[in-house]
Amino acid sequence: MTLAVRESAPATSRRIARKVLGHDAGAYLFLAPWLIGIFVLTVGPALGSLYLSFTRFDLITEPRFVGLANYTRIFTNDAKFLAAMKVTFTYVLLAVPLKLIFALSVAIVLNKGLRGLTVYRALFYLPSLLGGSVAIAVLWRKIFAKDGLFNDVLSTFGIDGVSWIGDPDYALYTLVVLSIWQFGSPMIIFLAGLRQIPQDLYEAASLDGASKRRQFWKITLPLLTPIIFFNAIIQTIEAFKAFTPAFIISEGTGGPVNSTLFYTLYLFQEAFSYFRMGYASALAWILLVIIACFTAVSFISARYWVHYEE
Amino acid sequence: MKSDAAAHVPGTPRRGAFGSLATHAVLIGVSLVMVYPLLWMIASSLKPDSEIFNSASIFPAHPNLSAYARGWYGLKVSFGKFFTNSAVIAVLAVIGNVMSCSLAAYAFARLRFRGRNFWFAIMLGTLMLPYHVTLIPQYVLFLNLGWVDTFLPLVVPKFLAADAFFIFLMVQFFRGIPRELDEAAIMDGCGPWRIYWKIMLPLAVPALATAAVFSFIWTWDDFFAPLIYLNDMESYTFQVGLRTFVDSSGQSDWSGLFAMSVVGLVPIFVMFIFFQRLLIDGIATTGMKR
Amino acid sequence: MASVELRNIKKRFGDVEIIHNLDLRVEPGEFTVFVGPSGCGKSTLLRMIAGLEEITAGDMKIDGQLMNDVAAASRGIAMVFQSYALYPHMNVFKNMAFALETARFPKAEIEQRVRRAAQILQIEHLLQRKPKQLSGGQRQRVAIGRAIVRNPRIFLFDEPLSNLDAELRVQMRVEIAKLHRDLGTTMIYVTHDQVEAMTMADKIVVLRAGRIEQVGTPLALYNEPANQFVAGFIGNPKMNLLKAELADAGPGRALVNVAGKPIDVPRQLVEQHRGAVTFGIRPEHMELGGAGLTLGPARVQVVEQLGGETLIYAELADGQPLTLQMQGQKRVLPGETVEASFDPAQCHLFLPEGRSLC
Repeated sequence: MTLAVRESAPATSRRIARKVLGHDAGAYLFLAPWLIGIFVLTVGPALGSLYLSFTRFDLITEPRFVGLANYTRIFTNDAKFLAAMKVTFTYVLLAVPLKLIFALSVAIVLNKGLRGLTVYRALFYLPSLLGGSVAIAVLWRKIFAKDGLFNDVLSTFGIDGVSWIGDPDYALYTLVVLSIWQFGSPMIIFLAGLRQIPQDLYEAASLDGASKRRQFWKITLPLLTPIIFFNAIIQTIEAFKAFTPAFIISEGTGGPVNSTLFYTLYLFQEAFSYFRMGYASALAWILLVIIACFTAVSFISARYWVHYEE
Repeated sequence: MKSDAAAHVPGTPRRGAFGSLATHAVLIGVSLVMVYPLLWMIASSLKPDSEIFNSASIFPAHPNLSAYARGWYGLKVSFGKFFTNSAVIAVLAVIGNVMSCSLAAYAFARLRFRGRNFWFAIMLGTLMLPYHVTLIPQYVLFLNLGWVDTFLPLVVPKFLAADAFFIFLMVQFFRGIPRELDEAAIMDGCGPWRIYWKIMLPLAVPALATAAVFSFIWTWDDFFAPLIYLNDMESYTFQVGLRTFVDSSGQSDWSGLFAMSVVGLVPIFVMFIFFQRLLIDGIATTGMKR
Repeated sequence: MASVELRNIKKRFGDVEIIHNLDLRVEPGEFTVFVGPSGCGKSTLLRMIAGLEEITAGDMKIDGQLMNDVAAASRGIAMVFQSYALYPHMNVFKNMAFALETARFPKAEIEQRVRRAAQILQIEHLLQRKPKQLSGGQRQRVAIGRAIVRNPRIFLFDEPLSNLDAELRVQMRVEIAKLHRDLGTTMIYVTHDQVEAMTMADKIVVLRAGRIEQVGTPLALYNEPANQFVAGFIGNPKMNLLKAELADAGPGRALVNVAGKPIDVPRQLVEQHRGAVTFGIRPEHMELGGAGLTLGPARVQVVEQLGGETLIYAELADGQPLTLQMQGQKRVLPGETVEASFDPAQCHLFLPEGRSLC
């Protein structure tokens, strides 16, 4: 008996080791394309750009280490950086909440069980799908031009509009409107979330005598907070990354008077117009830190306002 | 009357006919505002320039297609070439994404291996990573490989599952497939490759199709990467071509510009018409950004 | 026909050991049922035999051959899953042929084997259908058919009837028993339903918390439960288990006090013991009135009339609950007092730790 035990113990461990190893190798074969990608296209380049952010680099000569010079200049002596920050934050803080409020309102109306839901849903979603296209940015540029569609409509009310995209006071807001116009995909997510709320909660609430308004504030909204949170995170990150419309509307300049100089547009200019790759890398890492901070703060705040089951 | 009752969600008190009519009126109004710019763009592509600025109407007085012909050959390379380029890139991106992402997703969803949680966390982390952080070294890499002005920088990353979002989407879907099916397949003599190929992929067709459609649309719409990597007009994608058209003749030929814009939206619109259900379900279940 | 032998089998998930040093032998051609409450390890044990779970320690042999390392598909085993696990994208024919195709059997033989299995199960007309076009019972048959075509040495069933409605369950139970008779293959069947175990098994293995409580034929388990757990688990309604005092014991007899009544149990105790014991008597072994011993008057709480039988839930003088199962329809009302008698030879005595005393 003891002999058998002594024999089988190492054999068992060897068997198990072989099985686990075999398993691992097989799994890593499935993962291989992604793993190569993660090292060659993500982790490597990310570390690379961190290094480059401490250098001066013009693509032609070797990167020259300059310490914190890029960062110092960005934070102390770069008016365009300040402009880009102001533009980007204004855009994020306006476009995201407005878009979400609009998306949620429409979703709530659509969730009432009206006829034609699928038609409305499709119509409202279409701009989201098309919106990333250069064509839409072109269209926007024409709508808000001096002699564009928007002013045509205004003129029927006897109002004489300005060139909205040509005016530094208004140009950014045309892009905010463009963002709100694409409220379709958060709306669909809200709709799906509203469908998840069990109907019997509302039945119980109306038996308890809760008014429609009260049901909204006490049932719908709390149960929807995880989805609001999710949408807010996704949309904010997307807003920080916005590029195409600003590029097209300003013909790549961020103008007029830097009023549409989105952060990403500024980064693009530094990198690919002036070939200041080190400086642009520093800008990229600052963007990463901003997004990371924002996400972290959101997740911390979520503990206080997002309602989770269990 | 009957269909009215069917459309009524149980539990929501019935509103009067007037209330529902008012809601419809508001929704139709919103729809109109949403769609009007698109209709105006189409109408404008059919109008002579002089008419575009004189009316906000979406009904051209003398519709004609001459702007399309003008726009198509408006640059020294025709938009036909741009269109083909975009289509080739988008189709390759679809193939690359579906293949590489489904492989990785299968490993994450089904295989037990050491380091799985670690890699999964990394994968989720890359979902949030702004691409700007990797942009410049990637550019340097592709430049040194001699890939600038080829489609490779736009296509190869897709074959390396760089769009982690699709991995996430497929992991979610694979997890919904009952594990007993895998086990039955194991009993039937399948290894992981055969399970992946014969069981998982056929059952995941909805998720694969969703990923494929979104891949196509996002690649078709992508502006930033082609803008950086394609300098030779022969290799331009449609988006970059359109932008060049804006800069070169946009001021003088609005209807030509609108015509080409419409053409650029057609593939997406076609996707929308055919795969609406898939797109909407895809967003609803996974929370996609666009 | 193949034997299965488990020796010193252990299963650990992380730090938690859920099967403890288990030994068992399944004879060739035997229909063995693993039964026990959920979480007892019965499914895990089956999955280890199947090759779907790794065996942490110990040996698993089929026909004397060590199987721990052999891939699931090479063990000569077929398994029917709880959810049937039919491949939804393949039709019935493809489902049944899949294992053979994987093993690269010639087309003609696949065709012939599938046809034969379909014939046995009377599902020939369903071969072109997809699983979602089948009823629950038909799916069950296809799942069994998928197992049959492989000509396995051993069939494993993991709670295969739990997704069916009551009527179909009885019907399929009979069919599986018949299949076993016709094929003569060794079968191991997992269920939490003791009725399935009793009706189908040649041998029942009662499991609890990763250990075997008792192994035996259905009637052996019913008549001579080795411990209080098996006594309570086998039989429906559950055996009455009452607190009692063992006052005295001699050769072939024991004197116990139950609910204040002295009962003379004519059974030989296996060991010496005095004091607290558990007294067991099955509800169906009691009758109203009658000439046997009684536990004294009991106050009726609830009466369930099932037509063919009557269940009476009562309370003894000292407050202990007592269930009576009567044949036919008895006119008893809640609040009444009844006195039930029994044959003391049908009593059981258990030690406080659970082991049977007789």
